[in-house]
Amino acid sequence: MMRDAEAGRLLGIGLLAVAAALICCGALDAALAQGNPFGAGPGPARAAGPDGIIGWIMTKQSEFYRGLSGMIRAAKSDGTAVFGLLGLSFAYGIFHAAGPGHGKAVISSYLVANEETWRRGVVLSFASALLQALVAVAIVGIAAVALGATAKMMGDTVRVIETASYLLIVAVGLRLLWVKGRGFLNALQAVTAQPALVPAGPAAMLGAHHDHDHDHDHDHHGAHEGHHHHDEACDHAGHSHGPEPEELAGAGGWQRGLSAIVAVGLRPCSGAILVLVFAFAQGLFWAGVASTFVMGLGTAITVAAIATLAVGARSLAERLAHRRSGYGTLALRGIEVAAAVLVVAFGALLLTGYMVSERMFAV
Amino acid sequence: MIGRFARPLCLAFAVLALSVAAAAAHPHVWVTMKSELVYAPDGKVTGVRHAWTFDEMFSTFATQGLETKQKGVFTREDLKPLAEVNVTSLKEYDYFTKAKANSKKVEFKDPVDYWLEFTDGALTLHFFLPLETPVKAHTLAVEIYDPTWFVDFTFADKDAVTLAGAPAQCKLDVARPADAPAQGQQLGESFFSSLGANSDYGAQFANRIAVKCQ
Repeated sequence: MMRDAEAGRLLGIGLLAVAAALICCGALDAALAQGNPFGAGPGPARAAGPDGIIGWIMTKQSEFYRGLSGMIRAAKSDGTAVFGLLGLSFAYGIFHAAGPGHGKAVISSYLVANEETWRRGVVLSFASALLQALVAVAIVGIAAVALGATAKMMGDTVRVIETASYLLIVAVGLRLLWVKGRGFLNALQAVTAQPALVPAGPAAMLGAHHDHDHDHDHDHHGAHEGHHHHDEACDHAGHSHGPEPEELAGAGGWQRGLSAIVAVGLRPCSGAILVLVFAFAQGLFWAGVASTFVMGLGTAITVAAIATLAVGARSLAERLAHRRSGYGTLALRGIEVAAAVLVVAFGALLLTGYMVSERMFAV
Repeated sequence: MIGRFARPLCLAFAVLALSVAAAAAHPHVWVTMKSELVYAPDGKVTGVRHAWTFDEMFSTFATQGLETKQKGVFTREDLKPLAEVNVTSLKEYDYFTKAKANSKKVEFKDPVDYWLEFTDGALTLHFFLPLETPVKAHTLAVEIYDPTWFVDFTFADKDAVTLAGAPAQCKLDVARPADAPAQGQQLGESFFSSLGANSDYGAQFANRIAVKCQ
């Protein structure tokens, strides 16, 4: 009874999983085989559940989420329950983002591919979470509160927005791939060109090479400070036609950062919409709005933490790669290309429905 | 040399891929259900009659903006279009219901006799899911769950499963996820094997019905 769509989705997910496993040199097994570090079983709400960290996170976010409706109802008669609602929303936001979701994956891949600093990663995370909250409030505010729209109309609206968001992710990824693909080819050129050059004038070339390395060090310090830096592949290849450094980071990069924010933040989370509609029905729309923004704050903190981790891993790799300019650079560029491919893949899988981010159920 | 600096990145990629792989695995909708297995006079199973009660938040969402003759009161008539949409949408998910008769998979037809009722702030969807062909089942196994765990299904506390018109010798056994034998697997293994094999991540939350008629 396996349907085509389902088969396709499985294939997509399977491929992703296989890709992850291959890339990961077994790190994944080590990371996941530890079971539940917290010792505690899933909470009373669910006696059974998946094991491990993810299972614990999923159980917690379910508990928090289920508590929201009760808190909103309590807030009707008891104003202080609003604080409980906000606390629960914050916790839900943190756990929700720690669980599955495409937002942080896209942001992290984007940051890794785009040589961004952790500061920009944090800003991107917060901005996209804020946008996500705004979109949810706007949809419910306009559709349900002002127009009296039905759940089906809201669901349809979300689906349109969702498609736009996924298309944007693909576009952002393709652009990265274009830029990073050229960087990779340049690095490849540099690596293959070097040996041929050496016999031509060994002494002179060694001297020149030394200078190059020196430049890289300098440039890299610049990069870690958050300034622009030169693509070392370009230097190696002499006069390259690769991307200008200003294209990759720095002031101009904010425009592309914006496209990433929109791509990720455009799609509101189903949970926020349900909470908003429920709050509205209870005559406490503002409580729903407050809850949504606090949820966004929690989400942003988690996404920022994960993004920082990704950026940190990248700059560590960069530092190590730097000691071996030729192949190290090539590998680094390869990783950037892989991250860009991941962004495109996320977008494409989401767009074609092989990967479901969150669905609006049966309405 | 590549391995040394690739390792931290591997971990980052692992986190990414993992987070996306189970993209929908967090319930947003809770369903409390009652199910009735229906038998024909000749002892053949004809189908399953479900009554699914949605949680308060989803019920509110689903009824948002619906026009009613009396404010806040939703009659079966008012909810008819919504029931239609529900049943149509559920087809894509095979009604979250899988069945095996005599250890062989059996197929369901489109639901009949479906309607929605709204009581105490909660929507309940009633529908009868007929078997493609009624079958004489010595053993019948029915599983209800959402593979992606967007919807959390739980049997009602009382009278969750009943047999209607079943031969006298039939014995009913109901297993909730909590009753299932301890899973024991590590997440790393179960997670990926479940995603790889059939993406039945939600299967560990499956509600199982077994009927033996010897």
